[in-house]
Amino acid sequence: MNFTRWRANHAPWAGLRLFVILVYVFSLGPILITAAVSFNSGNRSFFPPRGFSIRWWERAFAPEWLEPLWFSIKLGSLTALAATLLALPMAFALHRYRFRGRDALLALTLGPLMLPSLVTGVGLLQLFELLGLREYVGFTALIVGHVVICMPFAVRTVAISLSTLPPNLELAAASLGATRWATLRHVVLPLIKTGVVAGAVFAFIHSFTDVNLSIFLARPGEIPITVKILGFLEFGFAPTLAAVAVITLLLPLVLVAIVERVSGLGDFIYGDRK
Amino acid sequence: MVAIPAAFLLVFFVAPNALLLSASFQKTQAQQLTNELTLSNYAFLFTRPLYLEVFARTLLVGVSVGLVDILLGFPLAYFLVRTRSRWKGLLIALSLAPLLASVVVRTYGWYIILNRFGVANDALLGMGIIEERIPFMPSTGAIVIGLAHALLPYTVLSIMGSLQGINPNLESAAMSLGANRTRTFFNVVLPLALPGVAGGFLLVFSIAISAYATPAILGGPATQVAATAIYNFIIQLLDWSLGAALAVVLIVSTLLLLYAASRVGTKKAAL
Repeated sequence: MNFTRWRANHAPWAGLRLFVILVYVFSLGPILITAAVSFNSGNRSFFPPRGFSIRWWERAFAPEWLEPLWFSIKLGSLTALAATLLALPMAFALHRYRFRGRDALLALTLGPLMLPSLVTGVGLLQLFELLGLREYVGFTALIVGHVVICMPFAVRTVAISLSTLPPNLELAAASLGATRWATLRHVVLPLIKTGVVAGAVFAFIHSFTDVNLSIFLARPGEIPITVKILGFLEFGFAPTLAAVAVITLLLPLVLVAIVERVSGLGDFIYGDRK
Repeated sequence: MVAIPAAFLLVFFVAPNALLLSASFQKTQAQQLTNELTLSNYAFLFTRPLYLEVFARTLLVGVSVGLVDILLGFPLAYFLVRTRSRWKGLLIALSLAPLLASVVVRTYGWYIILNRFGVANDALLGMGIIEERIPFMPSTGAIVIGLAHALLPYTVLSIMGSLQGINPNLESAAMSLGANRTRTFFNVVLPLALPGVAGGFLLVFSIAISAYATPAILGGPATQVAATAIYNFIIQLLDWSLGAALAVVLIVSTLLLLYAASRVGTKKAAL
């Protein structure tokens, strides 16, 4: 009887639904308000917005904002490329072989995910100064730091896709006469392509949205968009910033939508269960 | 095969952190590290009321953000796991989408809402609820709201992970045996989901205590937390010793929290 009542009685479920709607409002509201304010015609935020204007968007497309945006895109792309290339052998070794020191290597690989990246940023700044490489603080230091903090994402996604391969696949290829390299090149790599692409995308997004590490390694002229926005906020509010914020938000969103279309990224978000 | 990536991480991840550890035991004089070994940096941080307050505020922020995110994230995760809506995929994507935006951008939304001439004040004035503008920020409360907003997807993911392992028939069974909804929830669902809840709490706690952007935007000089204090030491005061000591405190706290999370949370199996 209780069971039927549970099915028939939808009141608690309706209550849950209402609460969930409120959580979505909390979660997405600020982003939507930011977007609304960027079309505001006044020179401060009014809510509800007064008038409609795209003049803040015109200002957002000035070099002052396009340069750090382009800088972040370059930084993110190079980081994604380097992090993926370094992650591939790491993921192979960790996933395929049991060897002495494997636990240490695993800890080393996932370490940047554990320790606060803010601290790694401070440490890298100190390392560069100590080695007399002060002039490399900026783009070079940022790439190095971003590769460090983005690598664990790439290693994990590649490892997840390796774990989905049938174990005898490589043996089969080898017994058919393929060399180790040919097996890797023609059998394994094509099969884990999705994982590799997903890893690179996660690395790009992590780099593109990072601020904790970048605040220590940026310098004037070589500054990612997030740090630029943060610095600008000290001067208070400007609707231009709302437009810039929306642009930096759309970029990863579009990227993920494209990759999801092409190769099904969703599996990797909680890919551990696969 | 792994020599290159391993060497890369040793040089650019392990070495910097080791450098910080050693700097935290060295004295800074005239903005330069000296070779004199000392515990005075830690003694300084743990005796000055200003920095004790920074520690206390950082902990308070971490705990509050964890609790708020569990309270908001649990119902959402439960709904997402159990709903039969055909929009399920879209709803899950929407709940995780904020992770694609930088914390700076998401916190900026709260700045627009909470500042003195912001949306919240406009709305409350407009409705006649308040007569004068209220300074919602800078404040510790604003930092908690901003961080809870930024980190909510992590608790949702963690709790969904453990809820997915619970057979829905267990709930039906409990109810068919006479338990009401409340009892079923507290005696069946919650105990089984506890690893995900605790793991999510500790994960969010550990990210919140080292977050820089949100406290920098929604807080002020009177509401410093560990991350903003480290930034001030290193960039403004050029005091490597105190900055490093504070960073080491942050590392140790983070590792303890993550260790606790790995003991209670759901195990990650990929590697």
